[in-house]
Amino acid sequence: MPAIKEAFSSRLGVILAVAGSAVGLGNFLRFPGLAAQYGGGAFMIAYFVSLLVLGIPIGWAEWTIGRKGGLAGFHSSPGIFHVIVHHRLGKYLGLLGFIIPVVVYMYYVYIEAWCLGYALNAAAGTFSQPGVNYGDFFASFTGAGANGASLHFGLQDVGIFVIIVYALNFFFIYRGLSKGIEFVCKWGIPILIVIALVILGRVLTLGTPDPTKPDQNVLNALGYMWNPQDIATGLKNPQLWLAAAGQIFFSLSVGFGAVITYASYLRKKDDVVLSGLTAASANEFCEVGLGGLITVPAAFVFLGAAGIAGQGTFSLGFNVLPYVFSKMPLGDFFATIFYLLLFIAAITSSLSMLQPGIAFFEEGLGLKRKSAMGLLAGLTGLGTLLVWWFSKDLKALDTMDFWIGTVGIFIQGMILVMVYSWYIGIEAAWAETHEGAAMRIPLFYKFILKYISPAFLLIVFVMFIAANVFGWNFALGAAAEFKPTSYVTDLVGPNPSGVARGTFLFCLSVIILVGCLIKIAGKNWARASGETKL
Amino acid sequence: MSTGGWISMILSVGFVTVLFVYCVGRVLFGPQPDADE
Repeated sequence: MPAIKEAFSSRLGVILAVAGSAVGLGNFLRFPGLAAQYGGGAFMIAYFVSLLVLGIPIGWAEWTIGRKGGLAGFHSSPGIFHVIVHHRLGKYLGLLGFIIPVVVYMYYVYIEAWCLGYALNAAAGTFSQPGVNYGDFFASFTGAGANGASLHFGLQDVGIFVIIVYALNFFFIYRGLSKGIEFVCKWGIPILIVIALVILGRVLTLGTPDPTKPDQNVLNALGYMWNPQDIATGLKNPQLWLAAAGQIFFSLSVGFGAVITYASYLRKKDDVVLSGLTAASANEFCEVGLGGLITVPAAFVFLGAAGIAGQGTFSLGFNVLPYVFSKMPLGDFFATIFYLLLFIAAITSSLSMLQPGIAFFEEGLGLKRKSAMGLLAGLTGLGTLLVWWFSKDLKALDTMDFWIGTVGIFIQGMILVMVYSWYIGIEAAWAETHEGAAMRIPLFYKFILKYISPAFLLIVFVMFIAANVFGWNFALGAAAEFKPTSYVTDLVGPNPSGVARGTFLFCLSVIILVGCLIKIAGKNWARASGETKL
Repeated sequence: MSTGGWISMILSVGFVTVLFVYCVGRVLFGPQPDADE
């Protein structure tokens, strides 16, 4: 069996590492947009229901499975499922726990580079120059305008920042769990919260910046975000539930492959209940308490409701907000620290995407850390180059994000909760979770973990596929319509996208490659444990 | 902002803030795990 070589130095360290993995761009850009779109009241009810029956309990399951696998000497998702699921195919249940973080890293690091680039450009005063067109800057900087357009290396190009961000990530990963990931998160998360509080103070004291538009004031901005629309009608809207549950699921990084790896470095008597809850609460505080009060209200007071409606995550963050900051007193300073905040949120997440891959290469293939890092850098570098070059309309990025970073996470989350509640068994798993626990989970969570969470997740997943793959219009009976979305028509149909097809094939190739590596790893593990038959 | 908006915001932000402070307090000042094992 592989021996435990690394560990976090403290309980707070692992909690901050998991929180750092969860806190990302979605907390500050995606959540506020959704809450405003669906109306504060009904959306928040669905959001908190999803948090309580999906996010937190499945998180506990992931922490528990991770610690259990770690005690047997495994730290990668395939290894952990190999030792927990006593079947020759068990290790393949962890395939997505390797694939998801590695593939998501390929494009996430590209977005991380935007954040660093925007921070430095804000510091250099780029966004406050007269006549700057923020849409053109975004298209040029990210390459969204044309393929290959962003493969340049000036201050106003993403190239140099991709290289810096890559180097930083692998530098901290090279330093290891405690001196690398834990160090970054221990400093990064408090700094992130302080920056967010400073920006929050600025936003809440903006008053009415343009006296000719008295309606565009802070109170109305908060109202735009939080005023409940018709709650009863809202709660009957399946799209609202899908948006709320999806946000919780992706925001908490449940099923992502990072928590299971981090938890595998815990000791038998280390708590997972309070730690899991604390990491989740840190993410929620950043998302609802900070993200919910900053971005959309700030944009509202300068642009009004019409300027925000329909803006996607990237458009809000990298197109609308630079304009908003440019209109603010000390706008360059606040823009700089805001994009620095996003960069910190991103790097604490991207670091968590590398450790599962390193762990697998070390324990599955017997590689030393440097070799594992080299192999992972090569594999992820290839994917990042793909995203970087085929940047028009961010098609390659979007394709990877949908098929791996979204569909994959749903599947892995389902595997986690089913293994916890039905394979290990709820009684045994419950006892395992409470080993060394600093607090007790209310008993009714047994029922939730066994029935409600899997059923809820399955319903959300089916709805998600129906809407985002088959283009369901959320109507029933004769009014129901299905019109396949671009995620399908880009791959098959009369006008397919070559980039989408190529990216999809790349992802498939990675899955097949990793499947073969897991097979080799399984043989190594069987040989090490003296098994004669796989 | 409407009364409902205030309620919605205070309950949401208040809930996550109290939960976060409570959890961090328990981690920092609660009983520490045994050093053995």
